Amino acid sequence: MLRKSIVVIFLLAAGLLLIACQPQTVEVTRVVTETVTETVTEEVAVEVTRVVTETDTEQVEVTRVVEVDAPAKAEGELVVAITTFPNAITPPNAAERQAGNVTAQIFSGLVWIEDDNSISPALAESWELSDDGKEYTLHLRQGVTFHNGETFDAQDVVTTWEAGKDPKNAYAYVYEEADSVTVVDDYTVKITTPEPDPLFLRSLAAWGVYPTDYYNEVGFEGFEAHPISTGPFKFVEWVKGDKIVLEAFEDYWEEGLPKVARLVFRPIPESATRLAAVQTGEIHIATRFVKEEADQVFGNSDVRVISYANDRSYYIAFNNLSSGIGQPTEDVRVRQAMNYAVDRQAIVDALFDGQATLSSGFVSPFNMGFDPAIEPYPYDPDKARELLAEAGYPDGFQIGFACPIGAYPNFEQVCEALSGYLADVGITLDGGEIQFMESGQYWDLEANKELPPMFGDAWSVTNGEALDRLQGALLAEASYAAWEDADLRALIEEAGSTIDPDARAAVYGEIHQYMYDNPPFIYLYYPNVFEVVNSAVQNYKPRAAEDYYLKEVFLANSK
Amino acid sequence: MQRYLLSRLVQSFLLLLGVLIVVFFMIRLTGDPVSLMVPKEAPAEVREAFREANGFNRPLYAQFFEYLLNAFQLDLGHSLKFRQSNLSIIMERLPSTVYLATISLFLAIVIAVPIGIIGGFNPGSAADTVGRAFGLFGQTIPGFVFALYLILIFAVRLGWLPSFGRDFWYSVILPATALSIGGIGQFVRLTRSAVLEIRNEDYIRTARSKGLSKMAIGARHVARNAALALISVVTVQYSYMLGGSIYIESIFAWPGLGNLLQGAIVDRDFPLIQALAIVFSFFVVTLNLLTDVIYAVIDPRIRYGS
Repeated sequence: MLRKSIVVIFLLAAGLLLIACQPQTVEVTRVVTETVTETVTEEVAVEVTRVVTETDTEQVEVTRVVEVDAPAKAEGELVVAITTFPNAITPPNAAERQAGNVTAQIFSGLVWIEDDNSISPALAESWELSDDGKEYTLHLRQGVTFHNGETFDAQDVVTTWEAGKDPKNAYAYVYEEADSVTVVDDYTVKITTPEPDPLFLRSLAAWGVYPTDYYNEVGFEGFEAHPISTGPFKFVEWVKGDKIVLEAFEDYWEEGLPKVARLVFRPIPESATRLAAVQTGEIHIATRFVKEEADQVFGNSDVRVISYANDRSYYIAFNNLSSGIGQPTEDVRVRQAMNYAVDRQAIVDALFDGQATLSSGFVSPFNMGFDPAIEPYPYDPDKARELLAEAGYPDGFQIGFACPIGAYPNFEQVCEALSGYLADVGITLDGGEIQFMESGQYWDLEANKELPPMFGDAWSVTNGEALDRLQGALLAEASYAAWEDADLRALIEEAGSTIDPDARAAVYGEIHQYMYDNPPFIYLYYPNVFEVVNSAVQNYKPRAAEDYYLKEVFLANSK
Repeated sequence: MQRYLLSRLVQSFLLLLGVLIVVFFMIRLTGDPVSLMVPKEAPAEVREAFREANGFNRPLYAQFFEYLLNAFQLDLGHSLKFRQSNLSIIMERLPSTVYLATISLFLAIVIAVPIGIIGGFNPGSAADTVGRAFGLFGQTIPGFVFALYLILIFAVRLGWLPSFGRDFWYSVILPATALSIGGIGQFVRLTRSAVLEIRNEDYIRTARSKGLSKMAIGARHVARNAALALISVVTVQYSYMLGGSIYIESIFAWPGLGNLLQGAIVDRDFPLIQALAIVFSFFVVTLNLLTDVIYAVIDPRIRYGS
């Protein structure tokens, strides 16, 4: 009897598998670009579902794919999957990238950041900066209307600032960077900052404008429930946990945009489901996949895989503020040696299938002032041993090392591999092993500077400049900093107060070189992220910080 | 009876209190929400202000007593992430979860009971073998694996059903199937063995010797007695479906409580996790209480207390 049951179960399971893995004939379309578009199209008959793909990603960049002409007016419904449940969809409150991506389609900022990170006019048509670098005069665009018909003028900028710095907002401190915002005339405002702040103009891109009358009428709660701005899409409804629906705003100030009539965001936390739903056509854009998942749909002509390097710098930090005092890692030769000791390329090849860019510093290849002449530290264990001997540690030493669990893809394995490479040159770990910690506890200790003298982490920036992560990780007073270096501090402070972009880029270049010669970290990599989009999606381009603007995206209606 | 009910009520209350205590302290062992909720670049003052605004700077026992006091007034606190009262967030999502769990339970009963009855009346037959295999399959396959197969087959491969969400009336079919599969397995086996056992009871032989038809025996005697055996597992299964649908809801992006809990855990939204844990344990305790009451009412053989 039992044996009969097992046979039947086996048949049932085999049936399931058969249906799930039927062979099929498919067309492989994959777009890999190295600053120019290159479309690889080949006909392949596949016996098994997996298709071997090329992994040529020295400098992966995404370009816009446009195969058909854009429609004359907004049409069709674009459905985008997000991976979290947004807490809010207003700029001062949207807590993470996914919520911010919803917000970015509803609101317009005062300035616009181009794909190449340059600043161009948006609601502010032009601006001047006073000689002391503290006062901005913005000349506003005329004839812009809000979703509710209100006309945009200088008072609305004041309202935006006042509403933004309401302490109820998660990002109130961003608005507090301005000292005052005053109306000069209907279409001119003056904004002052306490100190010259080179990133301030850039941050105005995130000041999504609030309509004065409407905000005064509905207040904080009302505005959170139904936001109104001047962006390409207007808010329709938000069914919590299910969807956020937006609609093309017909009086949007940029002529001819947007290109889709309806935009729907669906929170789908589970990546396997996002992958399924983009294949069935229920959603058009799905983000945050790993290589293995993207591989599953190579060969499916209904979808296109996009991959690009994410501006998130992974590193192993040293400490010279608390636990690291008196440790060998205070000697710069030791830190250089540890950078030479690690075979980054082997780690990336083994754990990320080569889908990552190696790091040569904290100023990333996607940041202003990056110096391409500075190559990542080569793998050279002999040089490492030599430097260690020079520093007085010919037999190596022992040091404490911690890494977070479940915070970043494959990071536990990266730490394991790294400790192996360090052991090769004689550097062993306190207690004989890495101190792995659940990420919540880990961030606590990191913020209190209580981690061991060596610890792993990653830091992303979203505005194309390394300044935020430099200040956050390398100025002793910052919450997550564990390192202090007077020369480096001087450079970072200089970058933080240099307004002229070219001069600032030069300072970043110096920082890049200085941090290469005097590494406060073992530099690791910038991993690629993968997205899968429906083939009908045209003109879609996510940016290095996983942000996107959908006003120019349209759907080829052949589908 | 009254005394029995009263003692069960007190027990249930103590159970809930225990849950409150465990949940409160367990979550706080895993780290400080400030590190997760406040952006990395934020200045130290912002971190302190957040800590203060949410009362995380006060001693643990003070936080605990305030939390208990509020819980008794049905104030389950405010979500850190959504900045809304937890109760209102939960009420928004509750209907979806109850709907999914109820459909799943219904599905499990409708599919499993007939299979179990047929098997019980015809042990060893081909139908029984297939039914038992099906039951074993249901009880052993992990729900989330089954869920992914369902999506692959019925959404991706065949394109018959949506892979996620709650957009159409038929959106519930896949998640309900995935959620009910474990229950189906359990019900099939239980119904079968109950029927098998009852069939051999003396009163069935008596009924048969009275000349009652097979149908009448089945409906009046066997089914009613088997139902008695089923009630307890049905309510347990229902509370499991209400609370245990975390991964099924996440996989199908079902806008319910399980999905909400999964997100809250990722975001370490303490107050929301606490509130959800309380609501889930409330379901379990209430359904257990209900089971006992139902037994006391419908089964004349069971007498409680005096």
